Amino acid sequence: MSLTTFLQIFLIIDVFIIGVLTPIAVRHGREHYRPVKPEPPKPQLPGTVKERMLLASEEQFKSVLQKSVGHLEQDLESTTDQINHLIKEFAGEIVGDELERYRSELTKLHLQAQTDMSGISKQLNDHKAELQVKLAAEMELEKQALIRQIDVKLGDAVGSFLVETLQHNVDLGNQSEFLVAMLEEHKDVFKQEVITP
Amino acid sequence: MNLNLQNTIFTPQDLKALIMEVRSYTRWFAQANIKSQVVGKPSAATYTVSETAATLIREFAAGQPLSQQLLDMLILSLEKIEKESPRITITLAAMPGNSLKKSLTDWCRKNVSPDVLVDFRFNATLLGGMVVQYGSRIHDWSFRRAILANRSKFPGVLRNV
Repeated sequence: MSLTTFLQIFLIIDVFIIGVLTPIAVRHGREHYRPVKPEPPKPQLPGTVKERMLLASEEQFKSVLQKSVGHLEQDLESTTDQINHLIKEFAGEIVGDELERYRSELTKLHLQAQTDMSGISKQLNDHKAELQVKLAAEMELEKQALIRQIDVKLGDAVGSFLVETLQHNVDLGNQSEFLVAMLEEHKDVFKQEVITP
Repeated sequence: MNLNLQNTIFTPQDLKALIMEVRSYTRWFAQANIKSQVVGKPSAATYTVSETAATLIREFAAGQPLSQQLLDMLILSLEKIEKESPRITITLAAMPGNSLKKSLTDWCRKNVSPDVLVDFRFNATLLGGMVVQYGSRIHDWSFRRAILANRSKFPGVLRNV
């Protein structure tokens, strides 16, 4: 074995030792600067006692837990009742207030609507009466115009009918006396015209 | 000599026809006279005139013997009447018969002028009554005018029916 190899082995062992000692030194250093408080020594009880105590504490815990659950249930029920009651009261109050406000608004609106409606109704009645008068006048005018139109058409129709009908049934024999009577009726005027042309 | 229009002469056309007939008779009379003078005896030929013309000539002669001069005077008198007599036009709804013509002419000659001539016309659209025209004056007494003038009264009459 050469020296070099020996040295190498020696250095490796040194490095190993340094690697072991470094954590130990670090741990000791930390414990020195930040010491850990030692826990108080726990009383050491026998196993049966520990078991009995564990059972008793467990029973007690259970009973306490049950009592607490009962109290909690009662409290919860009463709280629920109270909350419900309060909610009802609040709700009733709110609804009552809202209803009252709604009633008052409604009454106000109703009164306003009545006022407006009475005005509108009066205007409507006035307008209606005015329209009725106008309509009656227009109807009367239209009626008179229609009556005149009908009379004119009827007169034309009767005249045309008579003209058309009598045109083919002329009998001068029956008219002789009438014609002479017609001349007699206008004799003076006629004679005057002939004498003084 | 007075010449009154007979009851058979109503219209200017009647008078014109009468004048023409008298003229024809006058021509024949003149020829017959010449013939008789040439022959030396009265002509046996005759000329027939209407009853109206015969009556008129007879009344105009008033018992005197018929002569060319008398007939010429008659024609002149008739032409004078044709020119000077007033004329009235009566339009009727149909052609009038002689009785109606006579009736209306008699009335006119009695009430207006004794030698008035009445010209009769007809227009079926008059329906009845008559239209009398003298000169520029027209009296419309026809049924048509009465109907058309009173047509506005028909609705009132019908409403009261």
